[in-house]
Amino acid sequence: MRPYEAATAAIFVLIAAVAMFDTRSGALPTSAAGLPGGLRGGWYPFWSAFVIAAAGIAVLFRALRAPAAAEGVFKDRGAVFDLAKFVIPMALTAYLMSDKLLGFYLASAAYVAYYAAFVARYRWYWSLAAALAIPLVVFLIFEVGFKALLPKSFLYPDLPF
Amino acid sequence: MEVLNNLAGGFATALQANNLLFLIAGCLLGLIIGVLPGLGGTSGVAILLPISVHIASSNSPTTAIIFLAGIYWGALFGGVITSILFNIPGEPWAVALLFDGYPLAKRLGKPGVALSSSFLASWVGALFATILLTFLAKELADYAIRFGPAELFAVFVLSFATLIGLGAESPMKAVMMVGFGLLLAAIGFDTITGEPRLAFGQIGLLSGVGFVPVTIGLFGIGEIIASADERGVGYVEKIAARVGLKDVLESIRALGKRLGLVIANGVIGFFFGSLPGHGATAGSFLGYGLARQWSRNKENFGKGEISGIMAPQAAADASAVGSLVPMLSLGVPGSPTSAVMMAGLFIWGLQPGPLLFVDHPGFVWGLMASIYLGHLFTFVICLLAVPLLALIMRAPHGILTPFIVIISVIGAYSLNNEMKDVAVAIIFGIIGYWLRKMKYPLAPLVVALVLGDATERELRKALIGSQGDPSVFVTSPISAILIALAAVLLAWPLVSRALRRRAAPATSH
Repeated sequence: MRPYEAATAAIFVLIAAVAMFDTRSGALPTSAAGLPGGLRGGWYPFWSAFVIAAAGIAVLFRALRAPAAAEGVFKDRGAVFDLAKFVIPMALTAYLMSDKLLGFYLASAAYVAYYAAFVARYRWYWSLAAALAIPLVVFLIFEVGFKALLPKSFLYPDLPF
Repeated sequence: MEVLNNLAGGFATALQANNLLFLIAGCLLGLIIGVLPGLGGTSGVAILLPISVHIASSNSPTTAIIFLAGIYWGALFGGVITSILFNIPGEPWAVALLFDGYPLAKRLGKPGVALSSSFLASWVGALFATILLTFLAKELADYAIRFGPAELFAVFVLSFATLIGLGAESPMKAVMMVGFGLLLAAIGFDTITGEPRLAFGQIGLLSGVGFVPVTIGLFGIGEIIASADERGVGYVEKIAARVGLKDVLESIRALGKRLGLVIANGVIGFFFGSLPGHGATAGSFLGYGLARQWSRNKENFGKGEISGIMAPQAAADASAVGSLVPMLSLGVPGSPTSAVMMAGLFIWGLQPGPLLFVDHPGFVWGLMASIYLGHLFTFVICLLAVPLLALIMRAPHGILTPFIVIISVIGAYSLNNEMKDVAVAIIFGIIGYWLRKMKYPLAPLVVALVLGDATERELRKALIGSQGDPSVFVTSPISAILIALAAVLLAWPLVSRALRRRAAPATSH
């Protein structure tokens, strides 16, 4: 058995099942008057979900029967931890970038500083320099060059970011 | 003659100062993106798509498509440098270049020849492909303009079938990805009956899931997570190189001896690329295989044989050009990158497909002329700036990675100025990373997501026209042929497996 592959296929089957349940009323064509082409809005998503479910069950079945792979999906637990160190701060930064929280520039600076200092293990002054330089470059390209307004922090308008 | 007149008009458009400037900027950005680890043409175009919206509004959609196409061509050339000098394929299609490019550069000590012969083949292959594009795309569009809803629906079904039937490592996973893309595209209001679908009471879902944040997530953030996961696995050995006049002359002589091979691969790559969803990767492997098959020096392959560099590179670049044929003529993307470019067309208010040639000829011919110019510029830049481009590869990860994440976030946000899109990009980044890890193909997902609305629209229009009678899809000869072809392609993985099983016992005796 290949547990990760089986779990991935099972999640897709579950997503498809939820979508089919939500759109079940439109699953079959109807001759009801006033319905263009005999199809309700749910017909297309229902059968798209059915396609996922049918193929997903086949993939799931194969994953359950297949012998375990020689190499694991992750090298070791350390690899999962390293990945989490990358993904979780990225997701958190995206949340903190919202208007009136840290805003785009402060959150970006914090993220760059974190990444440079704790993931790439740069010296603190290089990390600080990167944390200042990248948001500044982004500001010049997007806000000045392309006039794209990015979310500002709770300090705005007392400070320009 | 009409084509040449149109092309001349296209050159007049492409040579306008602003278009030329954005073409060069696109090519340079594409080169940088192609060289950067963890980024490729698709992710580059996806991340910079929102910027193209600003370009389209401040200049014109023609300038914006020239810019995006420039990124595509630049990334194709940029991937060559990492493959040959670092033995790291920047993109999947560049893997075929590793087989002979790196050995020629390292073992035989000719990095300049390896690079220049690759650039030269890329340019020649693309040139022939662009000539074919110039003459065939309009013909196909003129034919396709007569298609009704049933025929268009059949074209879309055929494009999904090619994604599943040809080249997919696991056809069932490809089927799942097509279904997932169609399902995502269906979220929100049904455009015909106005019914909400798959919104689960969430107002944010009623407007649907945008393909721009999804593609930025899948290709931009997903790639960067994948490369963060793989980093530190191997020691990267680099070879210092610059391309001198001597190298170029040696490559030109080598090309002279292999001109037939390069042109043949350009033509084959072009036709292979014009099959929806395939693009450069399949083309480059096909090119390498054919070069080896046709060669009298098969034993030299894998040891630095120039044919093993020129053939896949010519085919890869020609495939990328070919992938624009279905996009321009039928409104079907030929590769994941052209799917993202097609998303751009929708955003700028253009409808990809045969009517583009009628309603926006300046756009189409300007783009075509820019392909000739873009490849020429990229070729010249590559010859002159290899040492500089190789330096980019040495840019510190600690700065590059957060910078790419930040640019991706801006790309997702700036289209609608909504943080919801950033959340979608991050979620699909994680999904994209995991799908890669589980070997699910992403091209069918993106193509289905981009084509999902159009597929449903044409299906429903055909059924409305026939008052609900599904035989409309087989009574039209074109539609019937296309659907029969789609059925053959869908059945092909099963048939080929059965044939292999039958052949296996026979050979074992």
